[in-house]
Amino acid sequence: MSHANEPSLVYPPAVADASEVGRPAPIGQVSQFSGLYYREILRTFRNPWVLVITVVQPFMWLAFFGSSFANVPLADLEALLHIQIQSYLQFLLPGVLSTSMLTVGMFGAMSTIQDKRFGYMKRILLTPTSKSTVFLSKALGSATRGLVQVPVMIVAALAFGVQLNGSPLLWAGWVLGLVFLALGFSSLFLAVTASSTDWQTPGVISNFITMPLMFASGALFPSANFPTWMATISNWNPVTYSALFGRGIVVSGTADWLYLGYLALFAALMLTAGTLVARRYLRVE
Amino acid sequence: MTEDAIWASQLTKTYGPLTAVDHVDLRVPEGGIFGLLGPNGAGKTTIIKLLTGLSEISGGEARVAGFDVRRDPMEVKQRIGWVAAEVILDDDFSAWENLWLQARLQRLTDWQERADELLAYFSLEGRKKDKVGTFSTGMRKKLEIALALLHKPKVIFMDEPTIGLDPGTRRMLWELITGVNREYGITIFLTSHYIEEADALCHQVAILNRGRIVALGTPNDLKSRVHADFLEIDTREPLDEARLKALAGVQQVRTQGTTWILKVSAAEEVLPRLFAAVDPGQIRRINVEKPSLESVFIDLTGQRIDEAGGEVHDFRKFYANVRRARG
Repeated sequence: MSHANEPSLVYPPAVADASEVGRPAPIGQVSQFSGLYYREILRTFRNPWVLVITVVQPFMWLAFFGSSFANVPLADLEALLHIQIQSYLQFLLPGVLSTSMLTVGMFGAMSTIQDKRFGYMKRILLTPTSKSTVFLSKALGSATRGLVQVPVMIVAALAFGVQLNGSPLLWAGWVLGLVFLALGFSSLFLAVTASSTDWQTPGVISNFITMPLMFASGALFPSANFPTWMATISNWNPVTYSALFGRGIVVSGTADWLYLGYLALFAALMLTAGTLVARRYLRVE
Repeated sequence: MTEDAIWASQLTKTYGPLTAVDHVDLRVPEGGIFGLLGPNGAGKTTIIKLLTGLSEISGGEARVAGFDVRRDPMEVKQRIGWVAAEVILDDDFSAWENLWLQARLQRLTDWQERADELLAYFSLEGRKKDKVGTFSTGMRKKLEIALALLHKPKVIFMDEPTIGLDPGTRRMLWELITGVNREYGITIFLTSHYIEEADALCHQVAILNRGRIVALGTPNDLKSRVHADFLEIDTREPLDEARLKALAGVQQVRTQGTTWILKVSAAEEVLPRLFAAVDPGQIRRINVEKPSLESVFIDLTGQRIDEAGGEVHDFRKFYANVRRARG
């Protein structure tokens, strides 16, 4: 084969000189993590429907569920909910934000399974990228997707006339709590689906986790009204603490920082467990 | 001393009771094109997975690009490129974004110039900003090779590089593969079940069957080992084996149902004798195999390469087809 036969092929300089392409970038897995995280974000938000759903869903919750007690006198509602509130919406907002973090894990789990099925996981793992890095980028990616709902929901609440109390510091604390919650649940989902390649697994698991943890929490109704067994679940449920933490801020402008500590502990435990599981069990295809 | 690009000793992979790769020894010198030829399910892809650290080695040792695959998998992965049989790219991303991500995963800085060069080399510079989902299979394959070259690897693994491609695209890829090997001096390790491909591309070929290497050498070397032609005969009724053996020039007779494989000194001389001895009405089809890598395989295993695969359900191929249908 001579060059004359292939005029279209202009060969760039040969590879012997490795200095043309720099390596390594800073430390360890930072480069790989940022690349994979950015990929998750781009993939998610390039799809216009994801954006539409992200914006519409909080509105639906507030409009439909929030209106369930519209005709109940406020005094009766306050007796039922054991708290002084402006409206049921004000009571509900922190709860809905907390419960919506329950489902974020499903996105990361599904994106991971898609990568396994289309072989993209092989492309990733045939580079110096560790399985823990893949796990962390997926966990953070799906948590981010869930957290986009937070500002949207707050705007929606304001549009519905909900009165929001609390200082910026308290709100920053609460958003951090939601970040912990989102990270915790996305790690949990990824850990449970690490060895799965079935599209249906995340949905099945979501049903098992979401329902009980949504209702057996103080997110939608106070746990004081629950039977003992449900109150016990509620007492262990991180969703409860996120909801109580946020409700304190939204309703009366006070925060119990212990709740935030509990959420941090939950996130740390799940991230650690997820990393260990991913390192050992994350399937390539 | 030049280090071998790939070296493996007694490499073994077992899945429960199943031995997919059975004590394989490999030596691939730097700068060559090495081909692993064998039927579907022979263990070709598994060997690539073992050498690249994607799958855990059950027994034996392997060194790739100077590093032990088990001990230093990350060092190995920095020095190898990989081209998948099914073309794995992120379809939702542009060509440039795919390159960007690959650079991230390989921890490269200042890779942009190199990426532009590669796009120009593969005539993709005009489609840089286009989503990969809109590319033809040939273009996707080229982009995949560009990704594999981005970090200047020492070895590139190509799993069935031309499977499912039309003859024109296949020929173009053959030229690219030889070009990449020659101009970039990169060792290429490829698997194939296409005889012509191994013959046209490889400096050295290992023939793999049921997880074992049954022959190893240059294509010419292997072909010259078989001093015989093969006649494959399909018949309506079983033939009289003793009578076939008695024909002058017949060295060996093997049978599978109504297919007979005769190893003969020279097909031209034996055929007339065969027609005299056997009722031609019984014969449905005769295939003459002159010395080739195929006849080497037939000689060693008694089967053609494309027949030997058996019913291995290959989901990888299934998804490859799904992707092609989408693309």
